[in-house]
Amino acid sequence: MDVSSNLSYIPKFSTPTKKRPLVYPNSPITPLHQQALLGKASRSAKKSPTKASSNFVRGSPKLDVVSSDWSLSTSVSSPRAKHHCSNHSDRFIPSRQNSANAFVSNQKHELSAEYNESVAEACGLDLNTRILAFKPDAPESKKPVDLRAQYNRPQKPVVSQTKRKFATTPERVLDAPGIVDDYYLNLLDWSSLNAVAIALERNVYVWNADSGDVGGIAETDESTYVAGVKWSQDGTFLSVGLGNGLVEIYDVESQKKLRTMAGHQSRVGVLAWDRHILSSGSRSGAIHHHDVRIAQHKVGELLGHESEVCGLAWRSDGLQLASGGNDNLVQIWDARSSIPKFTKTNHTAAVKAVAWCPWQSNLLATGGGTMDKKIHFWNAATGSRVNTVDAGSQVTSLTWSPQLKEIISTHGFPDNNLSVWSYGTTGITKQVDIPAHDSRVLYSALSPDGRILSTAASDENLKFWRVNDSETKKRTGIFSKAGPANMTIR
Amino acid sequence: MAAVPIRSNLSLRGSSRLISEFFEYAVNSILFQRGIYPPEDFKVVRKYGISMLVTVDEEVKTYIRKIISQLHRWTCGGKIQKVALVITNKDSGEDLERWQFNVEILQKDSPTSIENPAQDETRIQKEVQALIRQITATVTFLPQLEGRCTFNVLVYADRDSEVPTDWVDSDPRLIKNAEQVQLRSFSTNMHKIDCQVAYRFDP
Repeated sequence: MDVSSNLSYIPKFSTPTKKRPLVYPNSPITPLHQQALLGKASRSAKKSPTKASSNFVRGSPKLDVVSSDWSLSTSVSSPRAKHHCSNHSDRFIPSRQNSANAFVSNQKHELSAEYNESVAEACGLDLNTRILAFKPDAPESKKPVDLRAQYNRPQKPVVSQTKRKFATTPERVLDAPGIVDDYYLNLLDWSSLNAVAIALERNVYVWNADSGDVGGIAETDESTYVAGVKWSQDGTFLSVGLGNGLVEIYDVESQKKLRTMAGHQSRVGVLAWDRHILSSGSRSGAIHHHDVRIAQHKVGELLGHESEVCGLAWRSDGLQLASGGNDNLVQIWDARSSIPKFTKTNHTAAVKAVAWCPWQSNLLATGGGTMDKKIHFWNAATGSRVNTVDAGSQVTSLTWSPQLKEIISTHGFPDNNLSVWSYGTTGITKQVDIPAHDSRVLYSALSPDGRILSTAASDENLKFWRVNDSETKKRTGIFSKAGPANMTIR
Repeated sequence: MAAVPIRSNLSLRGSSRLISEFFEYAVNSILFQRGIYPPEDFKVVRKYGISMLVTVDEEVKTYIRKIISQLHRWTCGGKIQKVALVITNKDSGEDLERWQFNVEILQKDSPTSIENPAQDETRIQKEVQALIRQITATVTFLPQLEGRCTFNVLVYADRDSEVPTDWVDSDPRLIKNAEQVQLRSFSTNMHKIDCQVAYRFDP
């Protein structure tokens, strides 16, 4: 009974005891609670790791125990804190962590916040600043860059045509047997109707560059020889200067001599046409103007040179005549005057090469002989010398290119070459040297289209050079049906 | 000259946009001028009344865009103090050159109205133009960068700023034994940007 009553009592008592833990204000902390609290602590430790961790280590023994636990020691995070707990040492090898160093590091640890602040202040850094870097690597450069190459570019060449290729071999070679080797004569000319006249001793031949036909047009007396040939501007008449001082005019169509004009005392080596006026230069130094339309043909006499006239050229507008002589003079004459407008004494040898610039009417180029080797450029309006180049050898002829800003000179010893010069605003630069003949290049003439230069030399060759053509490939045109590439003139 | 729409008032947002746009062009300019990428990767555009070079390489473009858009976010929040572009030798890992732009916030909250906004626009444009010109001119005295180089962008941001995952903490990567040249500055009514370049000086 007692037992039963006791037994009945038990539930009565047990119920309040069950409720008790909920009511008790200071209930012991369950492991679950403990962990949650520690979690909070470790989180706050994260925020200010240095101070918080040291507080834990000293403050509560319970937390100290937990901090040595693996899972939570990581939250304390400082490696030094770990060292503090570990206790591996050797008798012989002193453990640094446990010796004085550890003490120092601990101390540092404590002070680190203040220390950091002071260091940051000393360095001028702001602790409230983070330095962030954009992590992904910058894309690779596709190729290495050399700024030197970019900024130290070679200066642009003065003439853009520098790179153009030059045909260094003749396009065509004709035999010219018996051509007279005399610097003072002018035995080659190319007409505007595409016919090449060449004088070989006593004969003048005309080679038609269109058809390739060759015909003799003139033959002199046995007592004399041909000293100069020159086509009229329209290409229908050929003037021939003879060794005996006569000047003859031939009609190319009928191949007949039209008239003979006397007047010079000695050979006529150079001729120049200005429409109906034919000017002839003689060995005596005299230049005669012949009006070829009238019976009294001699309409002017220029007595400026003291020695043989070997260079003579009318300006394209017919207002000025330039002459060069064996007396080393260059003279520029006004068309209606018989005294020279300018007399230039700069050359130190005979002046055979005389050429007016086709695109700048005031510009005259003259070239000197063996002793001189210079090419002078003159302003024919003011008489001033605008430029000079040393060609390095005897200048036998000068030819301006009508299309390109270039001038071609032909030379004698030692290279017997053609030289192409660019004539720009900044000066004259040599473009190319083309070895042309076996002996000095005596005569030259430009084709009517301005692309091909013909040259003749005492090696008895008449050569054709495509020097003024910016396209080097051979094109049909000037020699469309001109017969075999190798033929003899007579 | 590229027409800039005239705003009556340059707000913080507007100023930030101007700043981040400037950074984009400045970064492009530096990459071109210092030969980090080959010159054929760049094209000329008209900006700030001058010809500017910007990359046309898609990869580089998106890389810069990513950086700039984040910069813009930070600038809008006023969280940014400095932006630095560090040029590094790819092989040796050595930092060779450091372009630093200091961002000074003149007034964070109260956008005051300007008496003459159009005049202010032209003044800003002129100042930016002068700074870009100066960056271009630095090639005359900066030493030749040897070898293949790459670049990094650093940002000095406030500690409490939000940081996307592709931005990581870094050291300032100052150039050792450096010569420093202070370049021009420009300012909107909100921000003041000044620029300096530090480079290796090995006599």
